[in-house]
Amino acid sequence: MRLSDLYFLMPLLILVGAATLNMLVVAVKRNHKVIFGITIVAHLVAVFTLLQLNGSSYQIPPFFVMDGWGIFNLGLILLTSLFVTLLSYAYFEQREERKEEYYLLLILATLGACVLVISQHFMALFLGLEILSVALYSLIAYLRTRERSDEAGIKYLILAALSSAFLLFGMALVYAVTGTMSFPEIGVYLQSVSELPLLLLTGFGLMIVGIGFKLGIVPFHMWAPDVYEGAPAPVTAFIATVSKGGMMGLLIRFFSQADAYRYANLMLIFTIIAIASMLAGNLLALRQKNIKRLLAYSSIAHLGYILVAFLAGNRLGVEAVSFYLVAYFITSLGAFGVVALLSDTERDADQLEDYRGLFWRRPATAAVFTAMLLSLAGIPLTAGFVGKFYILASGVNTQQWLLVLMLVLNSVIGLYYYIKVIAAMFAQTKSVQERRKVLHPALSFASGGAMAILGLLLIWIGVYPTSLVQLIRGLLATFMTTF
Amino acid sequence: MNEIPEVIRTIPLQYYLFFSSTLFVIGIIGVLTRRNAIIIFMCIELMLNAVNLLLTAFSAYRSDANGQVFVFFIMAVAAAEVCVGLAIIVMIYRNLRSTDINILSNLKW
Amino acid sequence: MENLLWLVPALPFAGALILIITGTRLSRPLVSLIGVGSVGVSALLTLILGSQFLSAGPTEPVYQQVVWQWFSVEGFNPGIAFHLDALSMVFIFVITFVGFLIHLYSTAYMADDDGFARFFAYLNLFVGSMLVLVLADNLVLLYLGWEGVGLCSYLLIGFWYKEPANGYAARKAFIITRVGDTALAIGLFMLFQLFGTLHIQTIATEAPQTWAVGSQAATIIAFLLLGGAVGKSGQLPLQTWLPDAMAGPTPVSALIHAATMVTAGVYLITRMHVIFELAPTAMLTVAIIGAVTLLIAGCAALAQSDLKRVLAYSTISQIGYMFLALGVGAWSAGIFHFMIHAFFKALLFLSAGAIIISLHHEQNMFRMGGLRKLLPAVFWTFLIGSASLAALPLITAGFYSKDQILWYAMAGERGNTWLYLAGLLGAFITAIYTFRMVFITFYGAPKSHVTHPPGPIITVPLIILAVLSLLGGFIELPHNFGHVVLFSDFLTPLLPAIHANDALGTSEWIFQLVAAIISLSGVYLAYVFYLQKPALQANMEQSSLFRAVHRFWYSGWGFDKLYDTLFVRPYVFLARINKNDIIDKIYAALAAIAQVLNRSLAQTQSGILRWYMMGVVVGALLIITLSLLP
Repeated sequence: MRLSDLYFLMPLLILVGAATLNMLVVAVKRNHKVIFGITIVAHLVAVFTLLQLNGSSYQIPPFFVMDGWGIFNLGLILLTSLFVTLLSYAYFEQREERKEEYYLLLILATLGACVLVISQHFMALFLGLEILSVALYSLIAYLRTRERSDEAGIKYLILAALSSAFLLFGMALVYAVTGTMSFPEIGVYLQSVSELPLLLLTGFGLMIVGIGFKLGIVPFHMWAPDVYEGAPAPVTAFIATVSKGGMMGLLIRFFSQADAYRYANLMLIFTIIAIASMLAGNLLALRQKNIKRLLAYSSIAHLGYILVAFLAGNRLGVEAVSFYLVAYFITSLGAFGVVALLSDTERDADQLEDYRGLFWRRPATAAVFTAMLLSLAGIPLTAGFVGKFYILASGVNTQQWLLVLMLVLNSVIGLYYYIKVIAAMFAQTKSVQERRKVLHPALSFASGGAMAILGLLLIWIGVYPTSLVQLIRGLLATFMTTF
Repeated sequence: MNEIPEVIRTIPLQYYLFFSSTLFVIGIIGVLTRRNAIIIFMCIELMLNAVNLLLTAFSAYRSDANGQVFVFFIMAVAAAEVCVGLAIIVMIYRNLRSTDINILSNLKW
Repeated sequence: MENLLWLVPALPFAGALILIITGTRLSRPLVSLIGVGSVGVSALLTLILGSQFLSAGPTEPVYQQVVWQWFSVEGFNPGIAFHLDALSMVFIFVITFVGFLIHLYSTAYMADDDGFARFFAYLNLFVGSMLVLVLADNLVLLYLGWEGVGLCSYLLIGFWYKEPANGYAARKAFIITRVGDTALAIGLFMLFQLFGTLHIQTIATEAPQTWAVGSQAATIIAFLLLGGAVGKSGQLPLQTWLPDAMAGPTPVSALIHAATMVTAGVYLITRMHVIFELAPTAMLTVAIIGAVTLLIAGCAALAQSDLKRVLAYSTISQIGYMFLALGVGAWSAGIFHFMIHAFFKALLFLSAGAIIISLHHEQNMFRMGGLRKLLPAVFWTFLIGSASLAALPLITAGFYSKDQILWYAMAGERGNTWLYLAGLLGAFITAIYTFRMVFITFYGAPKSHVTHPPGPIITVPLIILAVLSLLGGFIELPHNFGHVVLFSDFLTPLLPAIHANDALGTSEWIFQLVAAIISLSGVYLAYVFYLQKPALQANMEQSSLFRAVHRFWYSGWGFDKLYDTLFVRPYVFLARINKNDIIDKIYAALAAIAQVLNRSLAQTQSGILRWYMMGVVVGALLIITLSLLP
């Protein structure tokens, strides 16, 4: 352990510090505003310290490596978490439960995801994953008086524990064959053998179970709609973004460091998963009337899209994944943000009926939601379009015609249910009396501001993607030396 | 008195593999067949312990401390998981007066 | 100053934008100010640019201005870029100046209309699009303007949309011009494929190096471009929309369907003259189309009873003259006639509008009569316009422009006797129908009451246009008669001059004399028939042949009926067969399959935790199996 290691781990340490501080403050006096402030400041400082790091690769043996990919993912996770925090304030202020621990758990979950994306060792992977998961169990079941919240919590808990048992068993098998737990050393081992031992293949296969569960891809996707529906809207946003993005970051790191792209079997598995995810996600969403479930199915499909780029297995593919993650994060945050904004004290605004005629009641909110849905559908001038275009480019580039075809086909199916929601928002209805109690305007300022920024970002990236592409290329320069 | 790793090495590695795989599968079967959330939890613990066993054995065979350190991590994390898990189960029990997972199917389609 | 070029089209667009957004909330004077003012300032800028342009001399006759690079894909990089040379100068002068007068006139003409702001929004949009069309330095931008004016034409023909017939006329105009536009678009694709660019000047310089005269590619492209021109300019065989387009307000007919938009085809052919000169067949076709159209439309005009329809057919016929001129390579003569025609035809339409509104929307000539005394100002301006249209010798601008065309149709390198005779016959017919219109409308006994005598806002534009219709001709006089060549000199650096056949060179005055006599005799014939001895006419109406011909010409040579049988009915027939959407069944089936899949997949989301765990375990087994595959 060197002193400079601390410098490089500063963003994580700040999160740890903030979590501790929150705990102490809660112990002294409960105050929503103070805790909220601390959380926001902690995120900002963490992002600030992250900006001080240059993109060069820095090893913190044996667990971590801080390189361009890690910094990109850390930045993405921290900013996303910041937005989730902003959206949470107005949401939880309306509710009876104790609000303060929520932020503590949110910080811990963020920390877990951060550990995940910079880990290059099974133990760090496992620790990151579990920090994330355990925090998420409580977050999902946070609104404990709601029956659905409990149900979502226990479902996620048992399935996550089950899948991480698979992951661990897989890791143990890989360890048994290779004798090491660090990704680069596994890569060295793989270089040395011409044919993979069966035990190792089984190990990789079992690991995919754990990874696939967190990504919410077929056939490990079934938890997603239930948990999305049951969890509080900001938490749903967090699961859809940080939890999935963190795992994606890890997956790409593992595959590139261990150079696992060479194995046709693994690629085949992911190809099947990608196609199945796209199809299942989009088909299941078709007749869905619950917005949160609809977005859950749509996220299954979107992870399928991302896997298409991941399967390209080259620099362009990783660029496409990165770009798509950014676009998808912005869009998901925006969409769930709208759900959070519209939710009232009794339940989340998750029925399609809640959105009927929204445009005539709250034009700004409806406009943002429309933009987000159009981005999810991949309509030009939004970030989603550029992202999808990027993925198609990487698929065509590596000539994976089947995947490209499925991607196009599924985009068409997807259009149907996104447009359905948009159509509902613009439908003329008899004016419904607003049920929600009106919050102090200052309270919704954070949410409103966050939504506005997200909307602008979405259009900005859609119209002028070059800036983001250049940023990603710059950060990936140190990471992608193997390609 | 032999060193513990040496004792471990007296049994062939395959045996450990078979044994822990069996344990793991028993855990899976338990998870799939039981209705009580707490029992399901215990079965998952069983699966984790199968992993622990495997890791310890490999670690001993390879004379590499990594595996054993990992076991400690797993135990700690499992404890944390159970903590939160039990809390949620208690909550459910308070709401529903039951810990049967089959009645939890409000969220569907 | 040339940096302000972009303002010329931008101002009308800005006016249109403001009126579209805020129109209904503004007061009428303010709407007039925005609508007329934006075009007025454009006209002013054009005059300033024009004077600079003239004083700059022949050395620097072209202004280029790139406003914005639109996009750039694989060498295809159209910009919003403007190109001002002598040709576009003439056009923007006519568009902004005549456009301004018509806008001004419209403030009075439309004063009582509910859609006042909407009208000016459309009109401004039209002027902007037309300016883009003629100023574009690449064909993509030209096409944008081309479709823009088509859209405005559609909107304005159907301006009084509550009358179903107007909506029908608007759709007819839109669809028929679309036929030509499609040909044009294909032509543009071919040009891009062959040259890798759609920049007009680049194509103009590269085409002669690429193609030999008469080469196949040049011919095909020239014909495709001609298709676009024919549609837009209402020439045979796509002329049927123009008479119906008179359903729009009269200022619209004056601006769009007489002075500017319908001459877009003339502009296109002139602009791409390099390609046409490489395709002699296409050139000949242009001339023949022009000659045939001018005769057919002239005859149809003879039989009409609606004042505006007479003018509409006369427009078709006059554009036929322009095509004839272009076809024989007399480029500057064609453009000259375009300009003079814009003056006198706008004048005639606006005068007709003044009559129509004075008589409370009466358009039938036979219910007018005797208006000479009742509307003296309109009578004189209309008479001047008619004289110019009928090409009365020496005093009218129309004489000089038409004489030039007739002369080159005969004496030009590509001219021949038949084209000349067609033109001559056309001139005779023109004189007859023009003065038939004058005599019926303004002489004889009054048949209706003048309810709204026109105010100064209506008469002032009329007088200005009348002056131009008389004096406009004196900037270009035949060389045996004053020899003023200001106009053709202005265009010469751009458009190749035409050389007359030397053998005929000395006898030019004979042709002029013939043209003059023909025109005057036409007027005389009309005088005899419609004023002096109406009994003659009554006698002729006894004969069944006359009545049949009259009916045939009245219906515009039966083209509408022909197209109805050839295209509309078979299409409707096919559409009826396909009423249940045979093709759509495929998509319906796909949607149904998706629904079924959705239902069955939804069963997997049963909400039962055990089922989900089963899914994970089965998934794990599948993956292990897959990973163990050899």
